[in-house]
Amino acid sequence: MLKKRIIPKFLIRGGRLVKMRRFVDDQREAGNPVSTAKVYDSYGVDELIFVDIDASAEGRTVTGNIIERVAEEVFVPLTAGGGVRTLGQIEALLKSGADKVSINSAAIDDPDFITQAANRFGDQCIVVSVDYKADEFGRKKVFGHGGSRQTAHDPVEFAQRMQDLHAGEILMTSIDRDGTMSGYDLELISELSNKLSIPLIASSGAGSLADCKAALDAGASAITISSMFIFTDHSPIKVRTYLATNGVNVRNQKGSRS
Amino acid sequence: MTIAIIDYGMGNVRSLMNAFEYIGEDATVTADFDELEEADRLVLPGVGAFGDAMIAIDDKGLRPVLNRLALEVKKPVLGVCLGMQLFAKKSFEHGEHEGLGWIDAEIRPMQVQRPAKVPHVGWNAVEFAPDEWLFKGLPSGESDYYFVHSFHMACKDAADVAGTCDHGGPFTAAVRRGNLVATQFHPEKSQDNGLQLLQNWLAHDF
Repeated sequence: MLKKRIIPKFLIRGGRLVKMRRFVDDQREAGNPVSTAKVYDSYGVDELIFVDIDASAEGRTVTGNIIERVAEEVFVPLTAGGGVRTLGQIEALLKSGADKVSINSAAIDDPDFITQAANRFGDQCIVVSVDYKADEFGRKKVFGHGGSRQTAHDPVEFAQRMQDLHAGEILMTSIDRDGTMSGYDLELISELSNKLSIPLIASSGAGSLADCKAALDAGASAITISSMFIFTDHSPIKVRTYLATNGVNVRNQKGSRS
Repeated sequence: MTIAIIDYGMGNVRSLMNAFEYIGEDATVTADFDELEEADRLVLPGVGAFGDAMIAIDDKGLRPVLNRLALEVKKPVLGVCLGMQLFAKKSFEHGEHEGLGWIDAEIRPMQVQRPAKVPHVGWNAVEFAPDEWLFKGLPSGESDYYFVHSFHMACKDAADVAGTCDHGGPFTAAVRRGNLVATQFHPEKSQDNGLQLLQNWLAHDF
């Protein structure tokens, strides 16, 4: 049976890992991406996601160079994102060693780009990353360009539309919960995973082992974890062990090669 | 040993090259006919759509070369993901496309019941016979590999199947027929289990 995935998500700014809170304030530097990726690889994480957080605003893509260096030593699937809006950029990232690319602002500005990308590289290669937060009336809305531009889109409807346009996976990030370690948005995860026929990766809010289980039980195929790995003593091994002993179907080992 | 990773413009060739380098073998990425002839072993990678991949192979004039090396010279060939699917006679991905036809099989869409999702993305356990050389040193049913695909290979001859997996029903995860070996999963992305499989392939006396 297919395992639920545990995925560290790395935010990159100027070639370094950073941590933020609700996408803007409270920046803290969190280390070197290549050496950190190696450490997580040794813990047997299931995938790694890299997002260049300034890329969209500055009109460039995530440093392919970082992906290239990580791919030389780490043999897990890599997803790269940040500022991706052309087929040429996707090709370059895949050549660097990324297996999938995540597309965010371009999915809002030019939805047909998702279909073009899926036709060229296969649905399975295209992860649409949806950032959302509550507006002043408490309604959840999709935000683009690193959370700086509000749209009129409802996140659940938007994600379903992305599925229809041939996204292979949906990465849902609650801006309100980003970096707060206050738990995942279970209500949205549950509603959306019921409506999607493609995998849902839930992001933002992990603060405890119970939070991780709750998000996967709510229907997410995978969870991303960021602050909890960096600022608490919960390692991927600890998360995996907890989930396995509490009935969640996760990979139980890094592998058998001696 | 020289390993040539066939470059037809589709596939995560760098990761395959990195994995071979990590286990101590040099691999080159090439579409040069002479280099393919001279290589001891060939790897056929692939990411993307089946029809586009066959067009790309034909655009580079690779089909007769690959057919000769695989079927007449009987050079060991390893297909990965879409590369495995190209071994089949035909595929029903976005229409109907003819494949290389090396394995008597068809490529069909994954059909699953909810809550299972398609694409089949993530780690899943592969089952194989205890004496299966491709998975030597690995426990059947407990060895997870990384999959990312929406279509699967349906083999006519069960003897070609080296490993199976389950996602809303059983499907073929690996095949081998003489000098031809292929995996639906990505050994180059499957950490230790994947590196072990690549070593088994390199160590096998075809």
